[in-house]
Amino acid sequence: MKKRGAPFDLETLRRPSLVRSLIWMAAVLGLIALVTAGAAMTWFFQHSALNRVEAQLNEKLDDLYAGTTVESYPTGPEVIAPALTDQAALRAYSGHYWEIAEPDGKGGLKVIQPSRSLFDADIKPPADGVARLKPGAPIHYYDSAGPNRQRLRVAARAAILPPYPRPVIFLTADDRSDLDHDSRRFAELALIALALAGSALIGGVVLQVRVGLRPLFRLQDQVADVRKGKADRVGTDYPVELTPLASELNALLDHNQEVVERQRTHVGNLAHALKTPLSVMQAEAEQRPNDPLAEVVARQALTMREQVDHHLRRARAAARAQGLGERTEVAPVLDELSRTLERIFGERGVMIDWDAEDDLVFRGERQDLLELIGNVMENACKWCRRRVRAVAEPDGPGFLKVTVADDGPGLPEDQREAVLRRGERLDENAPGSGLGLSIVEELAKAYGGAVSLGESGWGGLLVELRLPQAEA
Amino acid sequence: MRILVVEDDPDLSRQLKQALSDAGYAVDHAPDGEEGQYLGENEPYDAIVLDLGLPKIDGVSVLEQWRRGGLATPVLILTARGAWSEKVAGFDAGADDYLTKPFHTEELLARLRALLRRAAGHAAPSLSCGGLRLDPRAARASVNGEPLRLTSLEYRLLHYLMMHQGRVIGRSELVEHLYDQDFDRDSNTIEVFIGRLRKKIGNDRIETVRGLGYRLAPLAGESAEG
Repeated sequence: MKKRGAPFDLETLRRPSLVRSLIWMAAVLGLIALVTAGAAMTWFFQHSALNRVEAQLNEKLDDLYAGTTVESYPTGPEVIAPALTDQAALRAYSGHYWEIAEPDGKGGLKVIQPSRSLFDADIKPPADGVARLKPGAPIHYYDSAGPNRQRLRVAARAAILPPYPRPVIFLTADDRSDLDHDSRRFAELALIALALAGSALIGGVVLQVRVGLRPLFRLQDQVADVRKGKADRVGTDYPVELTPLASELNALLDHNQEVVERQRTHVGNLAHALKTPLSVMQAEAEQRPNDPLAEVVARQALTMREQVDHHLRRARAAARAQGLGERTEVAPVLDELSRTLERIFGERGVMIDWDAEDDLVFRGERQDLLELIGNVMENACKWCRRRVRAVAEPDGPGFLKVTVADDGPGLPEDQREAVLRRGERLDENAPGSGLGLSIVEELAKAYGGAVSLGESGWGGLLVELRLPQAEA
Repeated sequence: MRILVVEDDPDLSRQLKQALSDAGYAVDHAPDGEEGQYLGENEPYDAIVLDLGLPKIDGVSVLEQWRRGGLATPVLILTARGAWSEKVAGFDAGADDYLTKPFHTEELLARLRALLRRAAGHAAPSLSCGGLRLDPRAARASVNGEPLRLTSLEYRLLHYLMMHQGRVIGRSELVEHLYDQDFDRDSNTIEVFIGRLRKKIGNDRIETVRGLGYRLAPLAGESAEG
């Protein structure tokens, strides 16, 4: 993900992210759901296990109560415990106990008859005192410490057994260690299971978000391709939610193109409209060599022509700045220009050869590439004796290089920079009119390229154009 | 010498007619593309001055139709549109020279003189081979009637191959005839030019005879046409 979009710094992290917020939302909601489910399950397990234990205690309490009798002896009435069949209650510290007792009047219990399993211990009364064990009250359950460090669940009830003078308290108790152990095990297992489920859920969400948002990233890549000149439109095979965005983008690109085209046409029409009258005025003025009015007209016509050229170039540059996704193969342009220039300079027998790989593509408009190389090659044709050679090749990542060499007189090193810097004409002394390399320099800069001058292998001038290359 | 001027601006037309008449030419004028095309096809002119922005039919279309119809008269395009893309389109349509408005009358006259001289200079008969035709007078070639767009080195190569069609020509011989004496000769470039020429005239027209050289095959092309 890092390779897409902006560098991965704090600023990027601080901005809202679709991926992060989707993952966060899913994670928080999932976590709440899982914790709630886990707590509920554990509570339910514990509760039902305890219920089972208490039901047994209750049953035993009923047996104990039902079997207990009161005998009248000369010494007074005595409580007689039943002969219970529960073997476990016979083994010492077996974990199953019962006890018959009576309040000792000091908040404690006085044992009347313990189960044999209690051996020398007894069942402790409830922590909040025996007062709450009233005859007729519902069975009271509580936890208590037992012998052998056992934890006991106790069921207790009080009853009046006439003629016994005091209320009799029946207690049954079972060791609840197993129950607690099982509950803890269950809670642990539930925690592990839910943690696994939680991670799987988050993993799933991350995957879902990544996969779900993939078309968005694809769109981003395609828009980047358009900007880099790899494509001139974005695709249309997107999910329904993104299709409108893609078509809007394409419509915008089309509109852009249309504006550029319209501007170009407009500019061309303007040129045509102005240049013909200028021609007429100029020719008319030339025919009257000694007329002061003709001189003024000739001078002004020249100024007008320069102004027209200047503004045409500016308008074209402005139109160009909006152009996106244009690609132009270099080889056909070199071929066309070579043929054209050989015709123009056919009289002098200028011979041009060119070389370029077929898959070399300029990132920009064909008209501009023609203008760039055309002006440089025309300049070379004007100055050469017989030969001009144009070679285009890749020049580092994202750039290509067009070198145009001629076998003319060349240009002294100290003049080369001045020619480019001040936009001076190289062709002042050659026949024909033209603006030489200043246009080329201006245009190349508009494309983020550059022009440099050197000496060719034939001793003539070497012009090197560095221009953006479109990826194949 | 008879010259046709196709130009819609009345003032410029008047000036051109005047200047050309003064220079001793007989001048006809057509104010739109339709009339210009008709005159060009039906009158024997020595040269034509053609504006590109014309009413009815634009100049490039007129020129293309003349060339397709086999008209070899030299044509000088006179236009306000001076961008290289427009020049290239004009030459590809078959122009011989191109002058951008505004222009000096002397320059137009000089260019016309050069065109007329060039057209008169070559009197060699045209060559043909299968569907290929080459007209040395106009320095033009075509395949099955479609004009070929060749650079001068490609043209020279084709010219030499057509003059010796059917014969195997060694690379060194081609180099010898392709370049002038004062040129550094790199025989490797012959392969490059053969490759480009094949692209333009059809792959099977030029045979490679291993170890010997190249041969223009007349029959392969003809049988391919049926």
